[in-house]
Amino acid sequence: MGTALSTALQTAGLGKRYGRTWALRDCSLELPPGRVAALVGPNGAGKTTLLHLAIGLLRPDEGGVEVMGHKPFDNPHLLGQVGFVAQDTPLYPDFSAAELIRMGAKLNRRWDTPLATERLTRLGIAQDRPVRKLSGGQRAQVALALALAKRPRLLLLDEPVASLDPLARREFMQALMGGVTEEGMTVMFSSHLLDDLERVCDYLIVLKEGNVRVKGDVEELVAAHNLLIGRAGEPVAIPGVAEVVRETHSGKQASLLVRTEGPVEHPEWTVRDVTLEDLVLAYLSVPARQEVAA
Amino acid sequence: MIWLAWRQHRKQALFGLGVVALLALIMIPSGIAIHRSFVDTGYAACLDGFGRAEFVPLAQVNGCEQARDAFRNGQDSWQIFATLLIFLPLLAGMFWGAPLVARETEAGTHHLVWTQGVTRRRWALTKFGLVGLGVLFAAVAYSLLLTWWVKPLSRATGGGFGFLIFDLHGIVPIGYTLFALAVGILAGAVTRKVLPAMAVTLVGFVAVRALVEFAARPFFLAPKSRTFKVATTEIPNPASQDWLLSYSLHDSNGPDSNGGYAFCEPSVTCPDEGWFNFHVYQPGDRFWLFQYIETGIYLALTALLLYLAIRLVRRRIT
Amino acid sequence: MIEFHLDGHSKVATYMQLVQQVKQSLRTGLLEPGDQLPKVREVTEALAINPNTVLKAYRQLEIEGLVDGRPGVGTFVRRSLAGPTLASHAALRSRLNAWLRDAREAGLEHEEIVALVEITLRQAKKQDIDLEAV
Repeated sequence: MGTALSTALQTAGLGKRYGRTWALRDCSLELPPGRVAALVGPNGAGKTTLLHLAIGLLRPDEGGVEVMGHKPFDNPHLLGQVGFVAQDTPLYPDFSAAELIRMGAKLNRRWDTPLATERLTRLGIAQDRPVRKLSGGQRAQVALALALAKRPRLLLLDEPVASLDPLARREFMQALMGGVTEEGMTVMFSSHLLDDLERVCDYLIVLKEGNVRVKGDVEELVAAHNLLIGRAGEPVAIPGVAEVVRETHSGKQASLLVRTEGPVEHPEWTVRDVTLEDLVLAYLSVPARQEVAA
Repeated sequence: MIWLAWRQHRKQALFGLGVVALLALIMIPSGIAIHRSFVDTGYAACLDGFGRAEFVPLAQVNGCEQARDAFRNGQDSWQIFATLLIFLPLLAGMFWGAPLVARETEAGTHHLVWTQGVTRRRWALTKFGLVGLGVLFAAVAYSLLLTWWVKPLSRATGGGFGFLIFDLHGIVPIGYTLFALAVGILAGAVTRKVLPAMAVTLVGFVAVRALVEFAARPFFLAPKSRTFKVATTEIPNPASQDWLLSYSLHDSNGPDSNGGYAFCEPSVTCPDEGWFNFHVYQPGDRFWLFQYIETGIYLALTALLLYLAIRLVRRRIT
Repeated sequence: MIEFHLDGHSKVATYMQLVQQVKQSLRTGLLEPGDQLPKVREVTEALAINPNTVLKAYRQLEIEGLVDGRPGVGTFVRRSLAGPTLASHAALRSRLNAWLRDAREAGLEHEEIVALVEITLRQAKKQDIDLEAV
């Protein structure tokens, strides 16, 4: 399945089924190391399933997944190198942050207690109170500190900021990006929010209904797409356009989000750059189709 | 991992210790009182006087009735208390066993702990083992306490095989408690939520206990039978602590459809000259053998359920 | 020390905004040769952005010869972009103030003045007028 060092996370035709429904199907990814990847899609798209397969909480029904060259299911040795922050940042509510850090030290072979305690001290989070008495944002910071204390090479986060207020969200992303700078690790986080994606991630995976719609390097994806605005009418082949991803009409005006294979020039169409958000929304709005790779 | 298991369950451990201490606080003084009453009413001496013969004179049994009634009348409330103690093992299952896996899965903390560097098997074995050990200690402690406490009541109501009495002393409470714990743990692993797990534990425990007690226990070994005439001066020794499984009256034509257990002294006019009693029973000296068998059954069930629970934890829970 | 701000609504790429802000500070004299740029860690934490973005910006500035990256120490300004001296800035500003007074007296509102300046700038760019010659 490819060399271990060239990818942090690799899946091949990965699928997971619950009863008769496929939560994830035919997912093939190769996440290069050192990236900050965003796993984007609506609720129920399969983001949590993919993350749980990657962290070894689930076993595939189809295909395979490898993290740094190893299969993750029930693999405690690999867990020492992969950090995970689960959805809703679960913590033992009557444990204090200090006790949770102690738990990490006892259960993990590689553990940096000072890293965790210093982080929390710097953030002003009390470490001897039960964590149920902390705010949602503070709990998220504790969960992040616990994941980073493993000094992991890959960090996976499941909707880490979904239930946080904007300030807590900001503080969490600040802490996360600071941690990434320090450790030089690969990160993949899932989100159903699109704000500020462009600032943070340099690799994108869009999921919908269990299928990968588009994946690739953010810069390359943005460069390879354009927004064409012109008059609604008969479809016409425009030179430079490889495919129309999404077409919307408002009155007499039509907007096409297209994937390009060269410079686009046409007298009747105004060519605009796309933002990452435009791109994601366009791919999420179309029904099941072949995925696009940059 | 041991630290984690202890830290998670230390409150439960303290609570368990408290329950045992509370029991001791109630049962030691009351036990002393029951033992004293047993001796003071003279019933103890009466029972000792019967010796080990299979049959004893009817007159001697009648002579003990006063002492027996004097002793038993004083113990009514304790009999109710003894009935409540039947549910002690179930509490272990519902409050220690059911939340063991279910609380983690319900709160989502299994996503935290199973992504630290510990295998699910080690997690399960350590938690089950530590809590099991604690429950074992508590069960041994209150089994000893119960056995001593219930002895006089047992002797006064026909012996160790008596209904509920058998369940309350010897080593079977240990078997019941460990079994209840295992039912709770497996229920939690199946339902993954605490309250449903507790409900399943209740139903499962009561069902199996009832099944073993009423359908299996009478037949652990082939019962014996004895016959003796209705017109008799001797009846089976009440101090033998036999377990009477069935009794009926027979004459030369066969059993009486109404059943019954009758005897009358020949000095009085005995209407049923040709009648005799037919008893099917388990001898009292098989008491400990039956205790071992029943405990063995429950320990085997415990091992099976724990094995299934570990399998579920390793393979199925997400 | 320079402080970065990001315009989330701008279509300009994040790393480009950082580059432009450094250049602007060099022009206005806020940053002088020898000054240290903020550490990558500080920028990523302050703005919650990908560290690769900051690295890209600093690398771009290095390519343009504006900064020096010293591994293990930090990134330092190499040369300035200061155009006209502060003195000529002051002269420009007084002439601008005079023109503004004229424009107000002519009855122009604030938005009209801004539009006038923008149109003139755009036209000047198109016609490639050499501003230095004015």
